[in-house]
Amino acid sequence: MKKIISIFMILFTVQVSLAQVKTIKGSVTDGSGAPIPGVNINVQGETASASTDFDGNFSIQVAKSKTLIFSYLGLETKNVVVGESNTINVKMTEAATNSLNEVVVTSLGITKARKTLTYSAQELKGEELTRVKDANIINTVAGKIAGVAITKSSSGSGGSTKVTIRGNSSFTNNQPLYVIDGIPLSNGGSVQPNGTFGDLAGGNRDGGDVVSLINPDDYEGMTVLKGAAASVLYGSQGANGVILLSSKKVKAGVETFNVNSVTTFDSVAYLPEFQSDYTSAVGDAKSWGAKQKVEGDIKGFFNTGTTQITSMAFSKATDGASTSFTYANTDASGVIPGNHLKKNNFGIRQASKFFNDRLNVAVTANYVSQKINNRPVNGLYFNPVSGVYSHPRAFSLSDLKTYEVFDVTKNWNAQNYPGFAAVSESNENPYWQINRQKSVDINNFFNGAVALDYKVSDWFRLTSRYSYNRSESNFQKEMYATSAASLVHPKGRYINSNTIATQNYADIIGLINTNFSEDFSFSGTIGASINNGKSAGLNLDSGIGGGLRNANIFTLGNFANNNGNVQTAYQREVQSVFAATTFGYKDVLFLDAAARNDWSSTLVNTDNPSFFYPSVGLTAIISEMTEMPEFINFGKVRATYAQVGNDIAAFITKPTYSIVAGQPINPPVGPRPGTTLKPELKSEYEIGTEWRMFNNRLGFEVSYYDSQTKNQYLQVPAESTNENGYLNYAINAGSISNKGFEVVLFADLVKSEKFNWESRINYSQNKSKVNDIPAQNVEGRIVLTDPGSNNYRYSLVEGKPFGIIEGKNIQKDAQGRLLVGDNGKLSVNADWEEVGNANPDFMLGFSNTFKFGAFTANILIDGRFGGEVLSLTEAINDFNGVSKASGDARNAGGVKINGAKADGTAVTTMDTFDYYDKTAGRNGATGEYVYDATNVNVREVSIGYTFNKTKLPFMQSASISLIARNLFFIYKDAPFDPNVALSTGEGLQGVDVFGLPSTRSIGLNLNLTF
Amino acid sequence: MTINKIKRTALCLSLLTAFSCTDNFEDINTNPEGATIEQLDQDYNSIKSLFKPAFNHLFISETTWQYQIQQSLQADGWSGYMTTPVPFGPQNNHDYVLNGGWNSYAWDDAYVNIISYLYKAEQRSKDKFDQFYAWSLILKVATMQRITDMYGPAVYSKFGKGVATYDSQKEIYTQMFKDLDFAVTELTKRNAAGEKTAFDETDLSLYEGKYANWTKYANSLRLRMAMRISKVDPALAKVEAEKAVSHSLGVFTATADGLKIKSPTDLNVIDVMSHSWVGLFMGADMESILGGYQDPRISKYWNTSKVTPGEYKGVRTGIIYPSGSTYSKFSQTGPRTKTGEITWMSTAEVYFLRAEGALRGWNMGGTAQSLYEAGIKSSFEQNGAEGATAYIADNTKLPKDYVDPLNPANNAQAISKITVAWGTDKEKNLEKIITQKWIATYPDGQEAWSEFRRTGYPKLFRISNNQSNGLISTELGVRRLAFSDSEVANNKEGIASGVAALGGLDNGATRLWWDTSAPNF
Repeated sequence: MKKIISIFMILFTVQVSLAQVKTIKGSVTDGSGAPIPGVNINVQGETASASTDFDGNFSIQVAKSKTLIFSYLGLETKNVVVGESNTINVKMTEAATNSLNEVVVTSLGITKARKTLTYSAQELKGEELTRVKDANIINTVAGKIAGVAITKSSSGSGGSTKVTIRGNSSFTNNQPLYVIDGIPLSNGGSVQPNGTFGDLAGGNRDGGDVVSLINPDDYEGMTVLKGAAASVLYGSQGANGVILLSSKKVKAGVETFNVNSVTTFDSVAYLPEFQSDYTSAVGDAKSWGAKQKVEGDIKGFFNTGTTQITSMAFSKATDGASTSFTYANTDASGVIPGNHLKKNNFGIRQASKFFNDRLNVAVTANYVSQKINNRPVNGLYFNPVSGVYSHPRAFSLSDLKTYEVFDVTKNWNAQNYPGFAAVSESNENPYWQINRQKSVDINNFFNGAVALDYKVSDWFRLTSRYSYNRSESNFQKEMYATSAASLVHPKGRYINSNTIATQNYADIIGLINTNFSEDFSFSGTIGASINNGKSAGLNLDSGIGGGLRNANIFTLGNFANNNGNVQTAYQREVQSVFAATTFGYKDVLFLDAAARNDWSSTLVNTDNPSFFYPSVGLTAIISEMTEMPEFINFGKVRATYAQVGNDIAAFITKPTYSIVAGQPINPPVGPRPGTTLKPELKSEYEIGTEWRMFNNRLGFEVSYYDSQTKNQYLQVPAESTNENGYLNYAINAGSISNKGFEVVLFADLVKSEKFNWESRINYSQNKSKVNDIPAQNVEGRIVLTDPGSNNYRYSLVEGKPFGIIEGKNIQKDAQGRLLVGDNGKLSVNADWEEVGNANPDFMLGFSNTFKFGAFTANILIDGRFGGEVLSLTEAINDFNGVSKASGDARNAGGVKINGAKADGTAVTTMDTFDYYDKTAGRNGATGEYVYDATNVNVREVSIGYTFNKTKLPFMQSASISLIARNLFFIYKDAPFDPNVALSTGEGLQGVDVFGLPSTRSIGLNLNLTF
Repeated sequence: MTINKIKRTALCLSLLTAFSCTDNFEDINTNPEGATIEQLDQDYNSIKSLFKPAFNHLFISETTWQYQIQQSLQADGWSGYMTTPVPFGPQNNHDYVLNGGWNSYAWDDAYVNIISYLYKAEQRSKDKFDQFYAWSLILKVATMQRITDMYGPAVYSKFGKGVATYDSQKEIYTQMFKDLDFAVTELTKRNAAGEKTAFDETDLSLYEGKYANWTKYANSLRLRMAMRISKVDPALAKVEAEKAVSHSLGVFTATADGLKIKSPTDLNVIDVMSHSWVGLFMGADMESILGGYQDPRISKYWNTSKVTPGEYKGVRTGIIYPSGSTYSKFSQTGPRTKTGEITWMSTAEVYFLRAEGALRGWNMGGTAQSLYEAGIKSSFEQNGAEGATAYIADNTKLPKDYVDPLNPANNAQAISKITVAWGTDKEKNLEKIITQKWIATYPDGQEAWSEFRRTGYPKLFRISNNQSNGLISTELGVRRLAFSDSEVANNKEGIASGVAALGGLDNGATRLWWDTSAPNF
């Protein structure tokens, strides 16, 4: 570490004499000579920026031989090297797509020329995030970035999203780091489910996260840093990749008011298929009764959801100061009756310059408040979808609508479920669940940040930032008496669970940028940061056993006991120092070197709370180094190697007793006696090449990476006779390797006056392998989702790819025929078998933009290939005799099987009930319910019209578009949408248990700027 | 405070001092909602808090599914009390294809949630607060008596001593008697001195911490254990049994002496399984025996069925259950299991133990017949049932034949041919004692299953759907539980010592040390 500092010291002294700063003035015009206001002017490698005023004039302080980058949406970015002259006039022309001279926002908010990057970074412009808007900005990334897998949660609007970049590399957390304007966002979600039955505390719910709350219209773009090299400066938090969001900057001298309104209609698509020919016997919860026409279409249960997002932005900038204020309102009613979301986003951003523009102060604040009524859950408990699918068919859904009847003996309304004496936990009246087990989820998020940027000298700037994040999630559920007694006390149950997470982040960064000589350039960053995260949870739950004293009065004072009231906490502080340098040679060869050292509070009481990791990378612009054929505009190769360390879970090295209802409870986990813990280490190398040709109309980028994460922090079961009473030991073991490549291909297929067609393909494939899982304690298997008594298990298995789905299969004879027992029935093997893998082999995104005069059309096709999913929903529907398959089989006189008795007698047909009774259900032969997860989806479609600027009264621009999301599947094998998961955590992947059916959205987008 | 924070942050941010800002990491990495041992030492909570887990876990009383796999799906079924007539997939205890996952639970829960706490109690109180040490020993013996009667060899003397190796069942019984010696001596001494109890704050039983009550319980437990080894080691059994009965405070005599605890959540897990889950029903043996005797306790234990309205209808265990709901209209549990009160040991059981002791010629302070009849009366009293005198005198009513209204293939003739009234035949009288004890001990299937294994009584219906491929005999039934999966996976050395001490294969057919095939007398 000291060595690095001294190298910097030397570099500083060398530099002092080299830099000369001066004020450059000039103007920017378009092809016709008209001035362009609002052009961004950046200094390459620095954070300094300016923009043109209303007359297209600008002024900026810059050193000689620096490169000024002029950029404006829709125009070709122009680079101009500062020479002797103090005036630079620029003429900007319409952009060719993916120009050579792009700048990208990289780690810590530092802008870099794209060509110098030694690693893969892929960008999305703001337009791509808002064209077919989703309430959650991250959902719009699907299919647009190579190597990024987007999996939505099945909780409808306001749900969180699982983002996996370059495969899963950790046993415990694979979510990327989100960074807004250079500052890490604390994206802690409150809860994710991890059981196939459903959480007893109010169902399998998605507690939401922070990134799903933000306003997509506030951002002008997104950069995804995929590999370890790109993210080394963010340290452990960035080990799974980094998603950088940049706020919209205000254009100088301009006053604008923008209004955007999106309305979409969401309808349920991809429901399971149901039979309509068989009723249920009296008193039976299952539909295996007589042949009789029954309700087969349960679609009527679902509503057409509407989502209305209105956002507006005011902005104004004068010389030296700019202000913007944004507001967005989201109002969405879900497809399940009673589900409703309301969200309000407020944002304010103020930037001012002081001391002759040497000091730039930017202050931002954002506040989001979101309320969701009856957020959909999955699993068997508290889930109306389960009751809607499973209800005995002697009764129609309209019979169930009378969900309560007055009970004279109790003087209250009791749950009414026609045909049942007592409701059970997996079969309650869905309308009762909607109306008498209401839930409210509230998520509030505040973020405030101050950024100071001081130009010490021409070659040295000092930046310091401070941000405070506070997110609050509150969940309340009021469950009335006469709900299923295994879930709700006979007098009712109340849950009120609140979590407040805060993060204080501060950094100080020195930026050095200069040329040693004509040939050699140098830029460097050195800094330190501190990140302190905390959360405090207060969970009040009157419980199943204790309940409420006075029926159906939902307040803490009415709790029968204190057993379900628990406080939780989390604290972590990471302190870091880091340095990164880029050496350039003749603007064709660039060498990156970076290093970081972290000190983490979670590693206290271990051998060393400090850990160090480096990265190195090299880029060569071949097209500038050698003679290339005429048609090649650009070509580069790059290679990088990086390591990222990762600390462990909080509090593990300091086990304490928790106190529940007055009783101190042994810590459930601690280090194995006589051992210590250490940080995880991810190593990755990446090579890549980028080419552009035919006047930049065709280009591609290929990256190959190979990463390995070792010393994974993991918990393994302890022997039950251990003296501490630990359930688990915390150990370091296990490694995950990921190898894969990514191809980004783009082409301007047609480029003419009237018609343009741009096409882009994102392809990625990843192969993972899990190793070094200890044979002791876990026998080579880490179970991520415990099956309970259901036959779905999700595991990491030694020598196998990440995320094995395990299930059980029907017993077969040596020839592979189903073994029919002496009793004429099938049986299910006792042993678990691998039945699939939850992760795709490769992913493909194919987007096309067509421009025809004032019309623009866009279509995005998104495909995931390979991998499997398991449907417990189908298994349970078959078991209950409500599925179409079970009806068809009954109509056909039985299930056709390729079976045989032990003596070899062939059996070709089996009674439908006998067949499904043994093989279906949540704990049957789940291997029969595995489907190929491959699917190709028309993810986004938009057709827009932009009004002629010159003919608009009092408006600067106006456009309208027809949009559609998840329009239809071109190919799909699974009976549900495999891009939706029950959890955005690590468990419950590749399985459906009565998840909310996926929706198709069609709507209108209106955009006006005044 | 804030200023300090800013100062510290500012300091930490300056590169040169970054190395020295980690001194508060220990605080940051300590869960503010957790309690450290130093905090718990105040008011001796570090000792007092270690007993409640035993009360909540000996019979799991807070979480229904845990009790289900602790005991309900094992002994509560094999004792003939109750059954869960659900096909449950391929591994089913009632078909004698033993489910390792379920059957590990009682072991794992006992060690993790009881023994690890009592071990801390020993470390923190021995030679300092011996009343607590004595109490911890009683609870430890109560726990381990159940565990060793399920699994056989177990970790007893080697707990907390490095690798957890197993003691044989014989060694465990010897140590349990010794541990009770210490506990009884200690509490008797303190009781005699009129010392105020130190347990009152943390005693979750109805004893309110009284030393005399706990001593009586320890003596009664000793009597139970003595009877368990009466066939394998009659000499030691006699000594220990007489020691218990002749002790100055003696064993349970009044019905109120029995040990009952109250579920902290006032939840009755058996009631939840039977009614909320519609998954637990009267056993056919209960219907045959209680129904045949027209035992008034039947309406306390069970509700009448919906399948034969107005009548009690049990389900045979280990037959083919076509679906989870086939038997859902049979008799569910009754008022006895409505409240959150759990009986650990009843006075009735103690009378029956003494009756058997007397039958064996031990000095039990009464005749076998008088003690037998006192046991019945005590059980009637405990259950609020009337008509004990007439019941005791009944020499005609016999257990009745079983009829399955849904499937005649399951019909069975009553196997037990005894009446309630005391007779002259020694073996038959033993059968009467154990049968009556079986009725009285309901719903503790674990104790009933142990006594069934020891004596063969009461005579229970055999299962008809034995899927064990000959591993477990239909005639003898399951004799033990296999060792915990957790131990097999994570304590290989321990398991090896356990299998050696078992002296047989680690499966459900191997007989325990006290479970000899010798005749009862």
